[in-house]
Amino acid sequence: MISNVGSMLLVLSFVITCYTLFIYVKKNIVQKSSIYLEFFLYYKASFLLLLFSFFILLISFVMSDFSIISVYENSHTDKPLFYKISGTWGNHEGSMLLLILVISLYGILFLLNSKNISDSLRATTIFFQSIIQLIFLSFLIFTSNPFSKIIPIPSQGLGLNPILQDPLLAIHPPFLYLGYVGFSLVFSLLLAALVLKQYNSRWASIAKKWIMLPWSFLSFGIGLGSFWAYYELGWGGYWFWDPVENASLMPWIASTALIHSIVVMEKMKKLFSWTAILTILTFVLSLFGTFLVRSGVLNSVHAFANDPERGVYILFIISIITLGSLAIYILKFPKKIENNNSFALFSRDFSILLNNYFLIFILAVVIVGTTYPILLSVFIGETISIGPQYYNTILAPFIFIFMVLMAIGPLMKWNNNSLVLRKQRIFLFFLLSIFLTILISFYLSKYNFIFFLGVLCSMYLIVSVFYEIAMYKKNFFIKQNFSRLFSHLGFGLLILAITLNHFFSKEISTKINLGESFFKQGIKINFLKSESNKGNNFEELFGSYEITKDNKIYILKPSIRKYKQPQQFTSETSIQSDGLSDVYIAMDYAGDPSTGIGVRFYYNYFIRLIWISFVLITIGGIVSFAGRKNEK
Amino acid sequence: MKSIFLILIFIFLPIQSAMSFTEREINIYKNLRCLVCQGQSLNDSNSDFAIDLKKVIKKKIINKQTDQEIYKYLTERYGDWILLDPPLKKTTIVLWIFPLLFIFFGGFFVYKSVRIYSNN
Amino acid sequence: MKNKFKISLLFFITVIFFIIFYYSLKANNKNNPNTMLNKKLPPIELTSLINTNLKQTLPIISEDKFYLINIWSSWCVPCRDEHQILMLLKDKIKIYGINYKDQKSNAVSFLNELGNPFYFIGTDKDGSTAIEMGAYGVPETYIVNSEGLIVFKHVGPLNKKIYLKISEIIK
Repeated sequence: MISNVGSMLLVLSFVITCYTLFIYVKKNIVQKSSIYLEFFLYYKASFLLLLFSFFILLISFVMSDFSIISVYENSHTDKPLFYKISGTWGNHEGSMLLLILVISLYGILFLLNSKNISDSLRATTIFFQSIIQLIFLSFLIFTSNPFSKIIPIPSQGLGLNPILQDPLLAIHPPFLYLGYVGFSLVFSLLLAALVLKQYNSRWASIAKKWIMLPWSFLSFGIGLGSFWAYYELGWGGYWFWDPVENASLMPWIASTALIHSIVVMEKMKKLFSWTAILTILTFVLSLFGTFLVRSGVLNSVHAFANDPERGVYILFIISIITLGSLAIYILKFPKKIENNNSFALFSRDFSILLNNYFLIFILAVVIVGTTYPILLSVFIGETISIGPQYYNTILAPFIFIFMVLMAIGPLMKWNNNSLVLRKQRIFLFFLLSIFLTILISFYLSKYNFIFFLGVLCSMYLIVSVFYEIAMYKKNFFIKQNFSRLFSHLGFGLLILAITLNHFFSKEISTKINLGESFFKQGIKINFLKSESNKGNNFEELFGSYEITKDNKIYILKPSIRKYKQPQQFTSETSIQSDGLSDVYIAMDYAGDPSTGIGVRFYYNYFIRLIWISFVLITIGGIVSFAGRKNEK
Repeated sequence: MKSIFLILIFIFLPIQSAMSFTEREINIYKNLRCLVCQGQSLNDSNSDFAIDLKKVIKKKIINKQTDQEIYKYLTERYGDWILLDPPLKKTTIVLWIFPLLFIFFGGFFVYKSVRIYSNN
Repeated sequence: MKNKFKISLLFFITVIFFIIFYYSLKANNKNNPNTMLNKKLPPIELTSLINTNLKQTLPIISEDKFYLINIWSSWCVPCRDEHQILMLLKDKIKIYGINYKDQKSNAVSFLNELGNPFYFIGTDKDGSTAIEMGAYGVPETYIVNSEGLIVFKHVGPLNKKIYLKISEIIK
C-alpha cells in the first residue's frame, strides 16, 4: 500500500540525511576538500524524499485510506475535499512531518539563493540544518510515524473536529511553520559562521533576509490566528493571552529584537554578542512553543492533541539543541572582534539598544506569564490562570514609551548624539500628536488618562512616520525605509486600534425568546425568526436578529451547527461591518431553549483597523527581503 | 508581618458582616469564573449554568456559610480554576515583583556591557 | 578555563530546565472537567421521576463493582445521540439517570421513543444536584465504584470511542 511507501520514504530520507552528514564530515573535515557538489546533491535528494512522503500522506487523506491511524482518527469520507487535505496537518503526526518539511525547505531555499556566498559557509549551514532535520526526523519515525497502520482496517474514520473545518484555520499552521520554524535557518547560519570564524558584519548582511522571511510569515500567521479566533470562537475578542497564542508571540518578539540588533551589527559593527544570543533565543523559543502546544502541559481553548510522552521527547530535543548551540557560542565566539560596544547617547544605534531592552522586557513578561502557572503546578501543586489583566497592566505603560522611542529613534543619526539636532522635530511631533489626541478625545467624549496616553503615543508614532514620508519622498522608495515605515506605521495603528477598541466596544449577553427583544446601552436586539438548514455533514439552525444602534439597523443571522462526525456543536457568528467597526452576534447552544436562546452580542469598535495593521506590518516585512535576493 | 496579618483579620471580619447581603453576594459572584463562558465572571454571565450556580450560592449564604466555606465547596468540585482571583496571594506577588526586578537588573546589565558617551 | 565553567553552568541550567518541565508534564492538571475524578461522590438524594414517593441516595453500597450515573434531559440534543450508547451499556452496568431541569411528560416521551436504559431515574429540577456533583451541564456521565469513588467522568455526549473505554474500565 502507498502508506508503506510513505513510511519507506521517510526512512530513506533519514538515511540520506545521515549520509549527507557523513559526507560532510568525511570530505570537509577529514579530507579537507572544498568541493561540496555531492553533499548538496544528497541534501536535495533528502528534501525530495520528504516532499514525496508528505504528498503520499496528503493523498492518503484525500483517498480516505483508513488503514493509516492518523487518517482514521482525523478524517471521514463525508469531509469536504479542502478539509481532507488540511486534515493532513490537522493532527500531531502530520503536522510534525510538515514541520520537518519546512525545515528542509528553508535549507533548499537557502541553497538556491546563496550562490554568491562562500561554499564552505553554505555547506556548514546545511550541515547544521541537516542535524536539526535528523533530530526531528528520528522523533517522527520512532515515536510519531504518520504512516502507522491499524488492523483491521476500519470502514469509516472518526472525523475531523468541526472547529477545524474552517478555511482560515486550515491554512494557519503552514503559515506559522513557515514563520517560526523558518528561524532554524538563520540559527544554522549562525552556528556555521561561528565555527568557520566568519561571524562578522558581512554575515549580518547575509543573515538579514533569512530573518525577515520567516518574520513576515510569522507576523501574518499570528494575525491570521487572531482573526480566526475572532470570527470563529464567538467571544468577540481577538487576543486572549492564551498560552498557545503566547507560544507564537514569544519567537515573534525575539525575532523583532533580532532584526533591529542585526541592523546595528551590520552598519555599526556593534552588538555581535547580543545578535548571536538573540538568534539562538529565537529558535529555542520556537521549539519551546512547539513543546508547550503539543505536550499537554497547558490548558487552553486551542488544546492540540496532547500527549505527555511526546512532550518528554520534545523537551529532550530542545535541551540538546539549546545546549549544543550555546556551547558552540561559548567556545567559538570570536575573541578579537572588530566591534566596540560603545554608544553615543541619543544616537540611532543607542535607540535600537533601548528598543531591544524594551522588547526583551516584554518578552520576559510574556514568558513568565505563560510558564508561571506551569511552574506553580510543579512546585506547589496548585494552579492559577494569568489573564489579560496582568499583561495589560504591566505591558501597556511600556508599550506606550516604546512607541515614542520608535518615533524618535529613526530620526537620530548613527553614532552621533542627535538630540539637539532633532529637538525641533521631536517637539513638533509632540505638538501635533497632542493636538490630534485632544481632537479625538473631544469627538469621542472620552477623558480617561490611559486612553489619552494610548492615543497620544500611537499618534506620535504615526505622525513621525507620515512626516518622514512627506519630507523625504525620494528616500521613501529605498526598500529599507519603505519596509521600516510600513511596519512601524502598522504597529502604531495597531496600538491605536487596540486602545480605541478597548474603550469603546460594547458587550451584551442575555437570553431572548423568539419574537421578543432586549434593550441595553442604546442597543436593541430583536429576535425575529429562526430557520433550519442542512449542510454537507451538519444540520444548522439559524436565528434572525435585528440590531438597532444609533438609528442604524442590521440584520444578522448567526447559527448553531450540529455536526455528525464527531458529534459536536458549534456556534457560528454573524458579523457585519459599520465602518471600521463590527456588529457581531453569536448564539449559545447550551441551556433549555424553552426559556429563550442565549446570545452574545458585541459591538467591536475599530476592529477592522486591527486587521489592517497586521497586514501593514506583514507587508513591511515582505518588502524588506523581496528585492534583496541577489544582494551580496 | 504576623501582627499586620492579625490586625487585618480583625478589621476584615466585621467588615464582612457589615456588608449588606447583596453586596456580599455580588462580591462572591465577581470572584468566580463562569465555567461555560470565556473569561466572564459569574456576576457578568446570564448563562443557565451561571444562574443555577448563583442560586446554589445564595442558598448557602442564607444558611450562614462563610465565604471560605462556599469557595471550598466550589473548588472541591470544579478546581481552583473556578476562582477568578488567584488563591495564593503570596505566590502571585512574584508575578508583579518580577517585572520590577527585571527592569533594574536588565538595565544594569545593559549599562555594564556597553559604554555610553554623551559627546560626539 | 573560563569556557569550561560557562559550559558546565550551561549544562547544569539545561538539566534543571528539563527536570522542571518534565515534572510539569506529570503534574496533575487541576483545571476543569476532571476535578471530581478519583474523588468520592458527594452524598445526594434523588426523588424518582416516576414515583415521587420513591427516593434513592447516592453513593450506593452494593455488591456491584461499578455503576454509571448519567445526567440528561429531553430538550438536550446531544443526549438523543448518546442514548444508543446508554442502551448498549445497560446490560453491562447499572445506569442511574438524573433528569436535569426537565418536564416529566417530555422526559417520559423521550424514553418511550428511544428506550429506557435506566435502572432508576431521579430528578434535578433546579440544577443543584448537578452542581453538587461538580457537573457542568448535559449530558455528563460518571462511573462510580463500590467504594463511592468516581473512577471515570465525561463531559458531553458519549460516543463509540468512549464506549470502548468504559467497557475496558468496567471489566
